[in-house]
Amino acid sequence: MSRTLFLHTWRTQRTKLLIICVAMAAWSSLLPVIYQSFGSQMKALVDSGIIPKQLTDFGGGDVFSLGGAIALGYVHPIAIILLAIFAVGFTTSAVAGERQRGTLEVLLARPLSRRRVYVTLLVATLLFIGIVLASASIGTVIGATIVGVIGDLRVERLPMLWLNGMLLWSAIAAIGLAASVSFDRLTPALGITVAITIVSYFLDILGSLWPDAKGLQPYSLFHHLTARDVLNGTVDVLGFGLLAAVAAVAIATALIVFPRRDLAAPS
Amino acid sequence: MDALTTTGLTKHYGHREPPIHPPGHKPAGVVRALANLSIAVHEGEIFGFLGPNGAGKSTTIRLLLGYLHPTAGSGSVFGLDIVRDSVEIRRRVGYLPGGIALYDSLTGERLLDYLGDLTGRPSVRRAELLDRLELSARTLRRQVRDYSRGMRQKIGIVQALQHDPELAILDEPTEGLDPLMQRAFYGILDDLRAAGRTIFFSSHILSEVERVCDRVAIVRRGQLVALEDVARLLERRKRNVELRVSGDPPRLDDVPGVSGVTVLADGRIACQLDGDVGPFLAAIAGHRVTDLTIEPAHLEEAFLELYEDAEPDGGVDDGDAGQTHAPSPPEASPAEPPEAPPAEPTAPLTTTAAP
Repeated sequence: MSRTLFLHTWRTQRTKLLIICVAMAAWSSLLPVIYQSFGSQMKALVDSGIIPKQLTDFGGGDVFSLGGAIALGYVHPIAIILLAIFAVGFTTSAVAGERQRGTLEVLLARPLSRRRVYVTLLVATLLFIGIVLASASIGTVIGATIVGVIGDLRVERLPMLWLNGMLLWSAIAAIGLAASVSFDRLTPALGITVAITIVSYFLDILGSLWPDAKGLQPYSLFHHLTARDVLNGTVDVLGFGLLAAVAAVAIATALIVFPRRDLAAPS
Repeated sequence: MDALTTTGLTKHYGHREPPIHPPGHKPAGVVRALANLSIAVHEGEIFGFLGPNGAGKSTTIRLLLGYLHPTAGSGSVFGLDIVRDSVEIRRRVGYLPGGIALYDSLTGERLLDYLGDLTGRPSVRRAELLDRLELSARTLRRQVRDYSRGMRQKIGIVQALQHDPELAILDEPTEGLDPLMQRAFYGILDDLRAAGRTIFFSSHILSEVERVCDRVAIVRRGQLVALEDVARLLERRKRNVELRVSGDPPRLDDVPGVSGVTVLADGRIACQLDGDVGPFLAAIAGHRVTDLTIEPAHLEEAFLELYEDAEPDGGVDDGDAGQTHAPSPPEASPAEPPEAPPAEPTAPLTTTAAP
């Protein structure tokens, strides 16, 4: 790992990171508010049979319990977009974007191996994602405290939820970085990573809404983000392991591909 | 001692050919960017690497710095293998890429600090370079995105040389510099040479290669077509002579080294002079010469002579397999041992002429 490259990356991303953290914390703080405000009414509505049950189980979350509301927040498009800014946007542009702009030339003219560059960017990415997820946990605690439902929240389970989120987004980030080191231009790297993320997301959502498509859910990375279960004290070890395995495969692929590939002169 | 050597260095881009071909199979999609390049750059010299766009100059540089992996052959920089020891090589090398791109959001000063820190060596030459290239502290406080092309190029030169590398690889270094700054840059190169540093200088601007380089390699379509001292290349180039005499014109046809004798309409005599001028001067000594012009040989003419048979496009990036399958020039790829006499360019020219 290169300390200089890491610090440079940190400096260039810290403002963006701060903004995303504030947005993520604000979003997460809203979820206990939503639960406290609408949870009982929604439950009554569902119990009356007006709303199909599938709609109440969207993405493994609900608004009838605090855990369910928090889980819903983690798979809501707002959270997805905020986390994807680093897990997809930063990773894909980290190498392919620099290559396209031509700045990778001056970076790789220094005594840095490509593996070292990759590892530094990976560590930076994981740190950014970890901070954003931590800000989500902080926002949740703040929101629950403000509306007086902190007693319903198992705060000691939040680190495990953070880990679950880290594994999911690390897997996506590792895919993004693997795509980034494999292409000379940003568009294909971004396109592939976004496609994998969106398809994975919709497989999970589709499976949760349509019983016939339930069999597709295990193929989705998002299916293994089990925030409600984690907050309720259950850990899907297999799901955690699967996310870790996807990340490991993507990292191994990048570590093999990047040093071996030719970097022709930028056009 | 050699700072840089390559032996049979070859680079093909594109798909690998299957080992078994169907009948009539033609290799497609493979670009032979560099073929069997063997050169040696001595420590302390400024080595020009000349060729038109697409000739293989950048490919060679990128192979030396580890951006590309050779298809065949090998190379070393200060005895370090270009494949295995790429990181250590880059610790001792300064590189100015052609058409350099910089981090626009950084100030010039921050950029130089950042790149200097990444190099891991103190930027001992920075102050001097900034002074000579007239980059003020005020300029360096501005963001790179506000810089003109020339200023970016100056920053590129500083980042390549600020840590006083033993070898500087400069790809089109004067691109975008005004004449005054070009002169300042040549002065920097002269000082680096005096300090024993080695410069590998890629360019297609012949006049500057002639101005700064000790030796020059000329590549065309990925193949070396000449490698020799600039002075000797210029010496061998025919000079253009024009003279006016009163009275009988001298008989120049049989004079050694004189060719292309033409009497012009206004009575002037034009010819070309190759090699020693002695016989020519002796031939005109008994005549009353009223005017005499001998144009100094320029590298450009020598260069054009080497390329006179080339196709107009002159590049290899079209993947022209027919051309690139031509046998490599036997002695134009002189795996030139240190201190070996320079290769004669005539043989390679005949073997590498385009079909």
